[in-house]
Amino acid sequence: MGCSGSLPDRNSGRLSGINGSESSGAPDAKNLRVKLVLLGDSGVGKSCIVLRFVRGQFDPTSKVTVGASFLSQTIALQDSTTVKFEIWDTAGQERYAALAPLYYRGAAVAVIVYDITSPESFNKAQYWVKELQKHGSPDIVMALVGNKADLHENREVPTQDGIEYAEKNGMFFIETSAKTADNINQLFEEIAKRLPRPSSTS
Amino acid sequence: MSSSSAPSSDNELNPNPSPKPIEDELSLASVTLTESNGNGSVNENSELAWGRKSSEVEVEADGSSSASSSGYAGERGSSSETSNSRIDEDEIQEVRNDDGFGDGVHYSQAAWVPGKRHVDEDDASISWRKRKKHFFILSHSGKPIYSRYGDEHKLAGFSATLQAIISFVENGGDRVKLVKAGKHQVIFLVKGPIYLVCISCTEEPYESLRGQLELLYGQMILILTKSVNRCFEKNPKFDMTPLLGGTDVVFSSLIHSFSWNPASFLHAYTCLPLAYATRQAAGAILQDVADSGVLFALLMCKYKVVSLVGAQKASLHPDDMLLLSNFVMSSESFRTSESFSPICLPRYNPMAFLYAYVHYFDVDTYLMLLTTSSDAFYHLKDCRIRIESVLVKSNVLSEVQRSILEGGMRVEDLPIDPLPRSSISHHLSQQRLLTDSHEGFSESVFGIGGPSGLWHFIYRSIYLDQYASSEFSPPISSPQQQKR
Repeated sequence: MGCSGSLPDRNSGRLSGINGSESSGAPDAKNLRVKLVLLGDSGVGKSCIVLRFVRGQFDPTSKVTVGASFLSQTIALQDSTTVKFEIWDTAGQERYAALAPLYYRGAAVAVIVYDITSPESFNKAQYWVKELQKHGSPDIVMALVGNKADLHENREVPTQDGIEYAEKNGMFFIETSAKTADNINQLFEEIAKRLPRPSSTS
Repeated sequence: MSSSSAPSSDNELNPNPSPKPIEDELSLASVTLTESNGNGSVNENSELAWGRKSSEVEVEADGSSSASSSGYAGERGSSSETSNSRIDEDEIQEVRNDDGFGDGVHYSQAAWVPGKRHVDEDDASISWRKRKKHFFILSHSGKPIYSRYGDEHKLAGFSATLQAIISFVENGGDRVKLVKAGKHQVIFLVKGPIYLVCISCTEEPYESLRGQLELLYGQMILILTKSVNRCFEKNPKFDMTPLLGGTDVVFSSLIHSFSWNPASFLHAYTCLPLAYATRQAAGAILQDVADSGVLFALLMCKYKVVSLVGAQKASLHPDDMLLLSNFVMSSESFRTSESFSPICLPRYNPMAFLYAYVHYFDVDTYLMLLTTSSDAFYHLKDCRIRIESVLVKSNVLSEVQRSILEGGMRVEDLPIDPLPRSSISHHLSQQRLLTDSHEGFSESVFGIGGPSGLWHFIYRSIYLDQYASSEFSPPISSPQQQKR
């Protein structure tokens, strides 16, 4: 792929500074580069959402994420801008909670995921929202995602609860299913639309 | 299926002496070995003076055969000859039955399925009691932390019993190390607030089993660091299981490695056989990267090292390499993309996390870059891109694949004609990495008689912390008996 210096690759070719914390560091208003972090309890499907979005795959065998995985994916918006998401898929395990700042520091977007069949994971999501409000970038775009929407028969967290909580905290809310791919691309497109454009520098 | 052992209704203390003491054999440089096949039918007694100084010969003696046997000394052409190899096979079979796996899944490495098994069992189940080798980790308050078989929470009562034994002895100002109960040995290892226990009827010597407990503890430290002890200072009843969530596979794969990976008892690592130039190419680019602030750069293929470079004065202990590669290989998520994860090298610094950048180049080959800096990810990612392009350009990755396909050294391949080939140089002595190990080896094995009597060999260099061994040929697919 990529025959030399065509447009979208210009950013990735640049040496990203050692801590890479620039949120939308591309100087170019047409080609954004965005650091996105996924947070949430273990087993809610963070990795599945990412793999569905980046590779279009779904693997039902659960693979526990260790530390954090890094993936990137570029999408094109209707206004002909492209957004390159640099995604930090963090481990939901308790032992990594203390290390989360490592991954969300400097993130422009945080996607907080819970499992609609697990009220516990919804509580955990609220914990992450508070944590980010305290320690995240002040202008961070946050999305609340209720995953496993395909398991609606076992739903324990009403959609309304998600909507209300998200509204109260100025977040974008969506329910997704990594399994059926429902709303996965919409999630990232909506996020892209909400990003502050570089012209209005932060 | 091996149900040859007595069902162990006597897991409790039962102070019978051990029925079978096992020979420990440690042979240092220039040993003379007498070969026999262990079944009485001594075919040929060939003697060998090991010429290389300061090398250690690891002799694998199996407990059921006569003492001086090197374990796998068989008949001429043993792999094809029926009658004799049948006997030998039985012998090996018996040895195998002594290992920790009662469920027969483990005959070959490939058949092993990672992950926790028999979660439904607890200490009341007969199947659980019949398991040949149990491992437990518990806290000093008796809370279960890990159990090889069965669900930890269901084993709370059993854990409390183990804790009671340990604290009873400790109250007397003493320490319990080993309890023998009929065929079973119960080995205890106390590490501050963490207790490790192995219950085994595998006839492995105490030192081996204790070494395995040490590694198990090291694996836990690799995941959590030793600072987990502080949790117990704050709250003695602290429940550690949530902290280790999702790591069952890491422990079970380590325990499995005790039965097949010589690194687990040799405290040495092994290298993938590669041409000198190929390894040089890999080493050079890793060195380059290490000079830019990477503490350790390792290129590995499964559990074999392709190349390894450390920053100045930093040295990587072989046990840490075993634990690290086990951790990476047993955690599937590393395979999906590049990862950045805190890990602790217990022999390097048990108190602190390092950060590991892990990336798989192909199914088997992976790169690990370790650093002390928590925000070095993008730097390490760049390093990886550079390394990858060099490895691709210089065909290292394809050579690695070729080497995997070819496999390691095989005893059948040893030249029969015992021409002394002393002119073959060993890159070994100056080079960190094994280069022409093939030739280096055939040389040292000539005296035994090449293919005639030799079933298997392991050579460990104490200077290099490395070992080299032959592949296991049929009928030995995965021998057990390990000795120091």
